[in-house]
Amino acid sequence: MSLNDKLKDLRKNGVNEAKRAEKLQELNDLRVNLLGKKGPITKALRGMKGVPAEERPEIGTLANNVKKDIQLAIEEKMDELNKQMIAKKLEEETIDVTLPAQSRNIGTRHILKQTIEDIEEFFIGLGYRVDAGHEVEEDHYNFERLNIPKNHPARDMQDTFYLTDELLMRTQTSAQEGRDMESHDFSKGPLKVISPGVVYRRDDDDATHSHQFHQIEGLVVDKNVSMADLKGTLEALCRHVFGPNREIRFRPSYFPFTEPSVEVDVSCFNCNGEGCRICKYTGWIEVLGAGLSHPNVLEMSGIDSTVYSGIAFGLGPERFAMLKYGITDIRDFYLNDVRFLEQFKGVN
Amino acid sequence: MKISLSWLKEYIPVTHTVEEIANKVSLTGIESSPVKLGEGLDKLVVGHITSIKPHPDSDHLNICTVDVGEDEDIQIVCGAPNVADGQYVIVARHGAHLPEGNRIKRGKIRGVESNGMICGLDEIGVPEKYVPEAYHNGIYVFPEAEKTGANALELLGLTDEMVDLDITPNRADTLGMNGAAWEIGATYDEKPEIKKATIDESKVVKSSDVTAEVNDEKLVPDFLLRELKGVTVGESPLWMQRRLWNQNIQPVNNIIDSANYVMIEYGQPIQAYDLDKLQENKVVVRNAKSGEKFTLEDDTEKVLSHNDLIVASGSQILGIAGVAGSINARVTKDTKNVLLESAVFDGASVRKSAQRHDLRGDASNRFEKGVDNGNVSESLVRASQLVDELAKVESISEEIVGSKTEAKPTVIEGSISHINHLMGLSLSSDEIMNIFDRLGFEADLNGDKVTVTIPTRRFDMSIEADLIEEVIRIYGYENLKGTLPAGMETKGGYSAKREFSNKLRNVLLGQGLDEVINFALLSKEEVNDFNIKDTNLTKLLHPMTEDHEYLRTSLIPGLINNVAYNQARNNDDIAIFEQSRIFDRSQGEDRPNEVEYISGAISGNVTNDSWNTTSKEVDFYDVKGIVEELLSFTNAKAHFEYIATNQISNLHPGQSAFITADGQRVGYIGKLHPSYQSDHNVNDTFVFELNVDELFDLNKRRVQSQPAPKYPSVSRDLAILVEKDIESGQIVNDIFANGGKYLIDANIFDLYQGSHVKPGHKSLGYHLVFQNPNDTLTDETVEKAFDVIKDSLVQKFNVEIR
Ligand SMILES: [Zn+2]
Repeated sequence: MSLNDKLKDLRKNGVNEAKRAEKLQELNDLRVNLLGKKGPITKALRGMKGVPAEERPEIGTLANNVKKDIQLAIEEKMDELNKQMIAKKLEEETIDVTLPAQSRNIGTRHILKQTIEDIEEFFIGLGYRVDAGHEVEEDHYNFERLNIPKNHPARDMQDTFYLTDELLMRTQTSAQEGRDMESHDFSKGPLKVISPGVVYRRDDDDATHSHQFHQIEGLVVDKNVSMADLKGTLEALCRHVFGPNREIRFRPSYFPFTEPSVEVDVSCFNCNGEGCRICKYTGWIEVLGAGLSHPNVLEMSGIDSTVYSGIAFGLGPERFAMLKYGITDIRDFYLNDVRFLEQFKGVN
Repeated sequence: MKISLSWLKEYIPVTHTVEEIANKVSLTGIESSPVKLGEGLDKLVVGHITSIKPHPDSDHLNICTVDVGEDEDIQIVCGAPNVADGQYVIVARHGAHLPEGNRIKRGKIRGVESNGMICGLDEIGVPEKYVPEAYHNGIYVFPEAEKTGANALELLGLTDEMVDLDITPNRADTLGMNGAAWEIGATYDEKPEIKKATIDESKVVKSSDVTAEVNDEKLVPDFLLRELKGVTVGESPLWMQRRLWNQNIQPVNNIIDSANYVMIEYGQPIQAYDLDKLQENKVVVRNAKSGEKFTLEDDTEKVLSHNDLIVASGSQILGIAGVAGSINARVTKDTKNVLLESAVFDGASVRKSAQRHDLRGDASNRFEKGVDNGNVSESLVRASQLVDELAKVESISEEIVGSKTEAKPTVIEGSISHINHLMGLSLSSDEIMNIFDRLGFEADLNGDKVTVTIPTRRFDMSIEADLIEEVIRIYGYENLKGTLPAGMETKGGYSAKREFSNKLRNVLLGQGLDEVINFALLSKEEVNDFNIKDTNLTKLLHPMTEDHEYLRTSLIPGLINNVAYNQARNNDDIAIFEQSRIFDRSQGEDRPNEVEYISGAISGNVTNDSWNTTSKEVDFYDVKGIVEELLSFTNAKAHFEYIATNQISNLHPGQSAFITADGQRVGYIGKLHPSYQSDHNVNDTFVFELNVDELFDLNKRRVQSQPAPKYPSVSRDLAILVEKDIESGQIVNDIFANGGKYLIDANIFDLYQGSHVKPGHKSLGYHLVFQNPNDTLTDETVEKAFDVIKDSLVQKFNVEIR
């Protein structure tokens, strides 16, 4: 057999062997055996001495081609086997994605805190400071400074938890107004503050009453604040909390520490004013009380009421949350059943 | 107060529906709702009983023939004891609808045909307590002949439409028809026509039997009486009775009814006495003597306090001033001579007496909120006029004065520009003056200055701000455009402390704890349960219940209640926290400090059984891990340690620790004591409590950035055998004390105590990591440090290096 034929034969066998291989190891062995230094091609080329000189380049080219072809066949087969192996591995690793997860739970902020913080952040954006004040307060700040003198009906013992004759559990976050006003330096700009926190009343706990609940008081005192500013501010708040299409309306009311005083209604977010159970078929829901600071309240804090004016408002986070989420029993906020709490995960 | 539109029409034109009026009045003045009486009722007519005979098969039923305005009379069987021939009565015809869905149908009663029902007032919508006494337990009989077949409801005022004013305490001026007419009139730009009360001057006599005396004119600025002699007491006419029962007032007789009617007209309570029953010829308003007793008209006895203001004649008590009359001088059907009283009593005094004796009523409500002292005298004239009209008086005395204060209108000065400025409007002075005129206020304009004279009926008004309210509400809040305050920019935000506690809350939320909010007022037992600092308790003066009597000293009792509440409902796996205030009162102080705490409770499994996990119950180290992460977020420039303690009585003595920062206690952690757990019905529960205020004060670490290490670290494992009571913390502290500057970590990776080690000993394994930030560490350097560590442990703790 000529060298030429021998090489062609080697190529044929080598390519066939590569194609037949079933394992990567076989292909590796084949590469070492056929293409290595001790392999048959190298050996065959040693017979070049017997080839006439003019034929040698041709044989050399053939030998290189044979090596390349075998190499290619081995690589193709390796590729094929690798792909099969990966496919098999993927197949084996396939899982049931509907099986339950390994839980990585984050806790739920209490819905009242979520409600309060949503409102706080709204006012912070408008330049309001947040000042939580004291839960145990002096009669002086809780009543006297709010234009509620000693014999005023709002001071009746049955409404207030007193600790001593002069100390009490604050009944309203408005108690912070006097402290905020007297400590503010008006040369540094207007007073803009909200006071969120817990307040206490002598109420029997039932579905709509709680002896402890929350309030947020808001107060702006400056040279040029007006009833129109109060309306604009509360309009923006109600749209933030209850939705962008809400309208508000003012109704005259009475609070000792504001004059004029108003109750604020928001157009019903449930029926858009058509009338439903939530708005008692009026299209409006009462959400807060507000007004212009009573001149006496300003003067008692040493603020000249002929130069400065104030807007003040107070709202109940429990009421806001009850309206917004359809909570019907105020006691739910304080029983802390985790099934109740966790349904508010991520609402704010 | 409910304002009947048919009555209001006597003052102003009424051209709107009751719903429209209620809505408009709500938006401009006083929260109101529409009331429509008699809705859904029908076929109730006037009947005239033309004959009556007993039912053959009954001892209490009667067969009546009734003329109902039709060609043929109808037959009705009636069981009322007061039914009689000739009466004009309310007849419910066949098919009539009565309140609460009751329906009348013809039928047979014990075999006798009955074509309807003769009704009592309570059967057609008047609450029983406002039905005149004579018609309780019986049918109603019209006082005079009425047209048969006429609509009975209409005659009885029971189709009235009313605007129910739910007044705020400052608007007592609308607790009478006159004031309400002014208010509703201003809303619709209509001036009410208010008739002046007059009496027949020919009946007025100069002399009187009694004199009046007031002990304290501050409490009783006005006290006026009139004697009316020779009265004929009887039933009031229907027009008056129906207005009274629609005001929730029971008609009694023409004297008492007239007094009550004037209260509804003028808002001024009037009291009537039987002149002949007075003990002495003098009527005195004075404070009661403590323990003095008197009997109300309904026979109940009251024991008075020296703070009660009373009207008396000698030792005879006529009533608590402005609150209630006594049985002593009650006007009855036999009364011949009457004494009428019109007065102003101090609101606070009336309020306290009414509360003290649980006697709040129409009169006390008005005195509490204030009455118009410009009307005291005229109201008395009006009452005399009505009594004269209805009870044919022979003589009327002049006003008998106990005290009298001149009624002065309030004058308020304001500025048009300031009023506009505070409203955020720019109304012309004409517009503003027009509003004052609508309200019946006289106003003078002088440039920008306006001087407004307020009639005495609007005793709620005293300052410019009150003028602003009147202007803006009549102008209409709906016409006000919202703006935002336009002053200097301010920087809003939380306090640094609040930011800090928010951060801590976020850590616990991130650790999977749900946030709770609990009550701050606890029972005595609860406040003592975790009063770790042994602070003075703060107690309410007048608690409502024993459950909420003291201010909390710890957040743990609330959390335990939550765990118990949840576990009772099969929510067994609980991880909760609260961030709130506790109350820490120093000896000798009244006012407690309000201290922010953050506390948690974890109970049940931290991992549950599932297809790929096995459950694991929470243990001390799970909770310690949460606390450590929390503390790592405090940015504290302090070294935290856990000091084992058996001093917290409601915690497990072997599984609890104080948490210290540089030796100062900032909180504690531990497992609940088994007996505390069983007392409170909770499963194994671990708690922690930290003082946020104290942690905030430690929040001083300044981070100086270090580049991430470039050189490899070197580690060594250390295995030792040590006596069982030595704490790992002691070992680690010693390792760090001796490990040199390159030691950066010492982690325990093994703890064994059992049969394979010496009795009373335990084997511990630590993984130490050394690193030089500036160079590669040599084995030699590490080995040297490692030797120092080992030598120290052997020396100090007698450990055996393994
Ligand atoms: Zn609605």
